Amino acid sequence: MTIDIIAAAIRIATPLLFAALGGLLSERSGVFAVGLEGMMLAGAFAAIIGASATGSALGGIALAIVGGAIIATAVAVIAVRYRADNMVTGLAANILALGLTSYLLRVIAGGGAPASIHLDPLASWPIPYLSDIPTIGPLLFDQPPLTYLAVIGCVLMSLFLRRTQAGLTLTATGENPEAVFASGSSPMRVRMIAIITGGAIAGLGGAVLSLQQVGTFTDGMTGGRGYLALASLIVGRWTPWGAAIACLAFGAAEALELRMQTFGVPVSSYIVQMVPYLIALAVLAGIGRSSRMPASIGQPLPR
Amino acid sequence: MTSLLEMRGIVRCFGPLRANDGIDLTVEAGHILGLLGENGSGKSTLMKVLFGMLPPDAGTIAFRGRPLAGHHPREAMEAGIAMIHQHFMLVEAMTVTENVMLGWPDAGRILKRGEVAERVRETSRRFGLDLDPHVPIAGLSLGRRQRVEILKAILRKADLLILDEPTSNLAPPEVADLLSILRRLKSEGKGIVFISHKLPEVLEVCDDVVVLRAGRVTGRAPVAGASRAQLAEMMVGRDITAPHALTPREPGPSRVVARELSAAGLSPLSFEIRGGEILGVAGVDGNGQLELVDAIAGLNRARGGTLVLDGNDITHASVAARVAAGMAYMPADRGHRALVRDMTVAENLMLRDSRREPYARGWLLDAAGRTRSARRLMADYDIRAAGPGAITARLSGGNQQKVVIARELDRSPAVLVAHQAAWGLDPGATRFVLDRVIGLRDAGAAVLYVSSELEEVLAISDRIAVMSGGAFVAIVRRADADLRQIGLWMAGRAA
Amino acid sequence: MTEPTPSAPSTPVAKPRLPFGLEISGEGLALRILLAVLLSILCAAALIAAAGHDPISAFAALIAGAVGTPHQIGVGLNRTTPYLLAGAGVALCFRAGVINIGAEGQIAVGGIGGAAAALAWPAALSPLAIVAALVGGALAGALWSAIATAIYLGRHVHEVLVTLLLNFVALLLVQQVLAGPLGQTGAGFLQSPLLPRESWLPRIPGLDAHPGFIIAAVVAAALSLILWRTPFGFALRVAGSSRKAAAYAGFSLSGITWGVMLLAGALAGLAGAIEVMGVHHRLIEGFSLGFGFKAVTVALLGALEPLAVIPAALFVGLLEAGSLSMQRQIGVPSALVAVIEGLTMLFVLAATVRRT
Repeated sequence: MTIDIIAAAIRIATPLLFAALGGLLSERSGVFAVGLEGMMLAGAFAAIIGASATGSALGGIALAIVGGAIIATAVAVIAVRYRADNMVTGLAANILALGLTSYLLRVIAGGGAPASIHLDPLASWPIPYLSDIPTIGPLLFDQPPLTYLAVIGCVLMSLFLRRTQAGLTLTATGENPEAVFASGSSPMRVRMIAIITGGAIAGLGGAVLSLQQVGTFTDGMTGGRGYLALASLIVGRWTPWGAAIACLAFGAAEALELRMQTFGVPVSSYIVQMVPYLIALAVLAGIGRSSRMPASIGQPLPR
Repeated sequence: MTSLLEMRGIVRCFGPLRANDGIDLTVEAGHILGLLGENGSGKSTLMKVLFGMLPPDAGTIAFRGRPLAGHHPREAMEAGIAMIHQHFMLVEAMTVTENVMLGWPDAGRILKRGEVAERVRETSRRFGLDLDPHVPIAGLSLGRRQRVEILKAILRKADLLILDEPTSNLAPPEVADLLSILRRLKSEGKGIVFISHKLPEVLEVCDDVVVLRAGRVTGRAPVAGASRAQLAEMMVGRDITAPHALTPREPGPSRVVARELSAAGLSPLSFEIRGGEILGVAGVDGNGQLELVDAIAGLNRARGGTLVLDGNDITHASVAARVAAGMAYMPADRGHRALVRDMTVAENLMLRDSRREPYARGWLLDAAGRTRSARRLMADYDIRAAGPGAITARLSGGNQQKVVIARELDRSPAVLVAHQAAWGLDPGATRFVLDRVIGLRDAGAAVLYVSSELEEVLAISDRIAVMSGGAFVAIVRRADADLRQIGLWMAGRAA
Repeated sequence: MTEPTPSAPSTPVAKPRLPFGLEISGEGLALRILLAVLLSILCAAALIAAAGHDPISAFAALIAGAVGTPHQIGVGLNRTTPYLLAGAGVALCFRAGVINIGAEGQIAVGGIGGAAAALAWPAALSPLAIVAALVGGALAGALWSAIATAIYLGRHVHEVLVTLLLNFVALLLVQQVLAGPLGQTGAGFLQSPLLPRESWLPRIPGLDAHPGFIIAAVVAAALSLILWRTPFGFALRVAGSSRKAAAYAGFSLSGITWGVMLLAGALAGLAGAIEVMGVHHRLIEGFSLGFGFKAVTVALLGALEPLAVIPAALFVGLLEAGSLSMQRQIGVPSALVAVIEGLTMLFVLAATVRRT
């Protein structure tokens, strides 16, 4: 039972973690990542199209990266170059992604009805020997490929932020873009690259949903996961591992809900579905003012 | 032998304004050049051109004999020029070492934290900077932060250091430390440009001095032979070293009485201001001045003690109630607090009175009353703008401050709280502001005049309070003021 | 600030600028917004052509579908109503610098309030049923907004996050009440029983529309009056430009925030009640889906000027009403409308940015 829930939590957390890592890049550079939902959705759509067109999961993953990056580019140009409000720009990008994926899904079917593309969800890659460990083995080392990639991404992101000049510059841009300018880099360039790279990573999160877990794309299939990813990176205090823990917590909450339904616990499923959002709210309210967000986040660059 | 830096015929315009109008400037290695000039004389523009932050419209720059053109800050730094801005370019959330590593090729793409920290420690020791590599900037005093900037310049092997108004945020002892660090750098063969509008420091540390006025060089001389009065005259075209004449006046009864007033960032303070009296507050910026003026104006909630205005206890009164009781307040932050930059002059003139005649009648605003009132105030206070509908951000600094003065003084206030009221204004506008403040005092109001410019405080005050570490260290009458003693008081707990 | 500012006695007279860098001076702004709309329509045309259809005939079908017959105009006006009501409220919030994305949830909860009031209203007082249900919706919307405001002001959580998360909770809340107290048993899907006829909004003769649009237009005009002609409107504009200046001016920032949030919440709640009472005549699951974001779209498209939100909401409402005909007749998916909305929003954001 507990094993089940942990397994489900990992499954649910994986797409969130990709999106949160992508959003982390954007927010560390000083731009709110409200557009994660749209970037994920575009990635989920592109993954299915890419995989079915090339006949290979790799093709799907590649196109998911491109899909997420395209939506992110729109956000980057409008929010950074044109200095528009980050939050509203992100929402606009989400609307655009929702419309564009629904439209294209119907156009490729040639008419009014949405195309129905069904692929086999990505199979798991058991890691030799490790997956044979009782209990933990099947739980942690018998996962589909993108789940491993999420963990690797978390490690790399953490190293990047703490150990590299580029990571230092990124963080400094979110804190004090003028200092970055004075040190010889262009804060605008840093923010653009951060958002677009972040979008590509969030696109992978979409690919996890469509390609690895469901095997198809449906309208608006991210269903608010982008916003939950945004909440988890804030709850995780803008650090990769903090975000990972928050994603797992949200995953566990949702997993618990699914279990309660199957076991007929007399609590309405709608109430239980509210739990992740209520947890996010409660944690945000609990952190309140003490949360140390990047100092210049949401502010357009000085001229 | 070629000079370290040669700038020839630099021209830079902003619209119709020629901020730099054919400036020549030469700096030698192992020399400190003082660049003197009032606010707006073109000093900062010239240095931004040099550092590649602004392209010049005409002129040439040669650094160590090599031309420097079309460059950005990165190229200027690589060439060996370092600029220490008035507002430090440091990331407060990061440590000294991290700030040093930022954008520094020697730190490596994969950061060599330990190695850089060791170099920070060693260089800090060699130059007497006294910096701990692992302390976050947020925990450092302004004087220490400046040393981080100097450290960055040294580690990047800069041959020319530009310091923009480096003493403006320092207490006198910190200034002395800075000057000795600069002499040390000079002895190692660095060229230094010391930008300032404070004559004594320039005279103390510089070898040569160049004076700018209205975008042109109006004088250059070795410091050895120049007198204070000569330089002052070169700066503004007349001798300003004579203090303002404040007509002696017997103050009336107490109008403002603070008893053990405390608030966030403020130790319990007691003072009185009488009618027809200006109480000046001197001190290094960031020693509780903002907290003090905000506490009096009602923006920093009192935690204890009492504040009485004309016999009424206003310790816990709202901002609006204080305005109604006759409180006028000119905040230091003109652009974001005293004024709404993107609103019209007329709207800014009604900012603190919008619920009263002539701006409102009953439930609605009175547009005609607003325009009428704006026209009258613009005439009375000589506000130069296209009309009541002009956007405030497009006014000059002096005219913006006139909008604030018009609004606050037209209420015939019982007390005026003025914070950095002449900051960044040209001499004419400064004169206007000080005259109006003095006029209000002569009309019987109580005035609290807070400024980090000691000379300004000395010139305008009947009594002077010295602030340090959120408390008044001393209050003296102007006649008893001893400059050296005041300097020591200012240093109080700040250093 | 040591940079010399040229003194400019000859500054041209211009009107103030808005948060988000929008300018409200007539010259330029309206034109730039129109250009943004045009650009997004051009992009849509390219998408139609890429799908192998003729853009001209698709748009012709869309326009005919939107305003071809009085019935279709009525459908369009009904769609416009919630966008206009909620959008005008959002515009006011944005003006005050409060980025309220919560219209979606406030509309949903307003629908619950309206439906509950209509179902519970005693038959003896049926002439007042409509008023009761409208008030019920507005109160419920304001209450939902109050929760967000309390968390925002009390715990300093960014208002966008609070309102967004509460939207999801509100949508689930609708499902919960429909599965429980307000639900119709045996319907097969989540909906309430039909509301009593006395609480249905009347039809405007000749148009297949309820009078919601008229209410919404009057509300927008009233909000414009509040914004420009009252001390509260002045205070909220100051707060939107500079929080520090507002505190200095003696305005209560929390008071302003409560004011605009409760007003916007009540209007969104009203929109939800009108939708329930005028269109579906019952509360149904997901009736408010996407309304909140469209309210933001029309607020921006209307340059945060409540009066200009009227044509902006009409544009979006009629576009959606017409898109179904386009899909039926030409085969261009109606999802194209969301693409146009998203692009318009992005282009408007880019086109109205501050250039000082």
